[in-house]
Amino acid sequence: MLTDLLTLNFLESLLSGMMRISTPLLLAALGELITERGGVLNLGVEGTMLVGAFTGFVVSFYTGNLYVGICAAMVAGGLLSLLMAFMTCTLKLDQIVSGLALNIFGGGLAFYGYRVAFQNVGSKNLPTITTFDQVSIPVLSKIPVIGPVFFDQHLLTYVAILLVPLLAWFLYKTVPGLTLRCIGENPRAVDMRGIGVVRYQYGAVMFGGMMSGLAGAYLTEAAAGLFVPDIAAGRGWIAIAIVIFGGWRPIPILFAALFFGLLDSFQLQVQGIGIRFPYQILLALPYVLTILAIVLRGTRTGEPISLGIPYLREKS
Amino acid sequence: MKIGTLHLEKRTHVSWYVQGFSILIALAGAFGVGALLIMTTGASVGEAYAALFKGAFGSRNAFLETLVQSTPLILTGLAMVVAFRARVWNIGAEGQFFAGAMAAAWVSMTLHDDLSGPLLLAAVLVAAMLAGACWAMIAAYCKIRFNANIIIVTVMMNYIILFLLSYLLSNTWREPGSYFMQTARFERITYLPRFFSSRLHLGFFNALIASVLVYVLVWKTSLGYSIRAVGVNPVASQFKGIQIKRTILTVMLISGALAGLAGGGEIAGLQHRLRLDISTGYGYTGIIIALLGRLNPVGVALAAIFFGALVNGSTHMQIFTGVPVALVQSLQGIVLIFLLMSDVLTRYRIRRTPHAD
Repeated sequence: MLTDLLTLNFLESLLSGMMRISTPLLLAALGELITERGGVLNLGVEGTMLVGAFTGFVVSFYTGNLYVGICAAMVAGGLLSLLMAFMTCTLKLDQIVSGLALNIFGGGLAFYGYRVAFQNVGSKNLPTITTFDQVSIPVLSKIPVIGPVFFDQHLLTYVAILLVPLLAWFLYKTVPGLTLRCIGENPRAVDMRGIGVVRYQYGAVMFGGMMSGLAGAYLTEAAAGLFVPDIAAGRGWIAIAIVIFGGWRPIPILFAALFFGLLDSFQLQVQGIGIRFPYQILLALPYVLTILAIVLRGTRTGEPISLGIPYLREKS
Repeated sequence: MKIGTLHLEKRTHVSWYVQGFSILIALAGAFGVGALLIMTTGASVGEAYAALFKGAFGSRNAFLETLVQSTPLILTGLAMVVAFRARVWNIGAEGQFFAGAMAAAWVSMTLHDDLSGPLLLAAVLVAAMLAGACWAMIAAYCKIRFNANIIIVTVMMNYIILFLLSYLLSNTWREPGSYFMQTARFERITYLPRFFSSRLHLGFFNALIASVLVYVLVWKTSLGYSIRAVGVNPVASQFKGIQIKRTILTVMLISGALAGLAGGGEIAGLQHRLRLDISTGYGYTGIIIALLGRLNPVGVALAAIFFGALVNGSTHMQIFTGVPVALVQSLQGIVLIFLLMSDVLTRYRIRRTPHAD
């Protein structure tokens, strides 16, 4: 059986699984990166993903159009994070508590919405949608191994990958990006230049929420084709851990997300081959690894200095 | 901020009736949004809320069942009080609840021939507390030794223990021949006594005793002083000679033990067998209960009974008006959001501006 692990086929499915699995993690993590660079710690990623997953699913189900579902999921994620922005940036509430509240609210809302939208649904007749097809890039997708892995994926996978250099350029090469990073470090300095700190933070939080919503929509519209109440299964939290592990920088975050995807893909492949090993231990691996990653990153290098601290103008 | 001769002034002290008022605003707001959610189902809001109330308090048995539902919530709420007082963000009560339930199940399955009577029941509950504390200690260790983000570690631990339980329930612990992932029903001598010919079990009274003990711990002991000091100002408390790491560890152990006791109580008092669905998110609800109860044990008991009433009444509401039970989960989140927002109002007071300026 070990020889099964060493074939090209195995490598190919392992790596394309990695791309698929890391897509929602990367989308959510990039959103959270921007949010946290603006000094706001949004722990509501998990709840926002659930709302996005539900909205994307229900809208696609009733309109029959997956793209409308994607847009709706982003709007829903944006609205939920608008609430987060209002609580933390306008009312200056504790960001940790607000984020936890958002999680509970988002999870509850998605679950309730599902029950209202699909009454009399049991485990036998779950409503489903046809998921996104893979988008093959001409010529490139024909290259052995590399082709199927990198050039025959879901549209959102390409979007997530392309966002990495785009956001890196935004953060490090543009004035708004620099301003945002400054707000995460020293909001008073930015405020003194007459730039609206709160306005930037609203933008950052809402961008994060829209990305979380998109990540959630990927789960229902590209991966599963159905909605279950705990479909995010901790991915929102793992995305937050990826931001920490990636040291709040876009490129390391990409690799951290791919690493998590690789591990999860590996356990799926091992299960598929049928090696006798308790599958629950494999399923628990990403969560154990998250803890290890957090432990390794304990010193928190790269964390925005003002992360989690509400900016109060009158306080000196 | 000034409006005419009035201006807003920051309160230096928020009295208990202002805090109570802010809770009332939060509840009113939550039930208002809840009404909108009910309307989406096409049911009548009045009827739905009436059914909810009737299901929770409509009869003696309904009220006792509300107390049954509130039992685990009191304990997970208390677990959060101890942790949050020190600003230690233990979001792992859900996992610690399961650790406690698993330990209680293990003792029930293995020691029922060796021990009997109160000794056996005590062993079940003590094992639950120990297991909850041990599970919490892993996260505490990551925090103390490596300065890891305790929120993420505790959340991950919640998922990990479910896989562990799922493994046990599909192998060694599984009831022989059962279609479901569950243990066999435990021996009768492992059951906690029940009262008033209802499902109300000893666990509820344990929870009340725990409330008193947590009150004494937090406000009447030097450890409680350290806990509150670390929560208010860790730097200053360090200068006062309080060992922060040791306080964090102690807080996590107590918090985990309380959550574990909640799990053990559910097993020994109510479920009598272990399944994957014994918790409906009690650990997470504990967070809201602790905040709604103002990190105060008496408040927590009241908030838990209120949430127990919502859970209990919602079944009645679903049967008679068709509004899904899931409404309660949304309501819980909305209550918390409104509570946080109405707290901002109570931070300020309206004063008449003196004529001098």
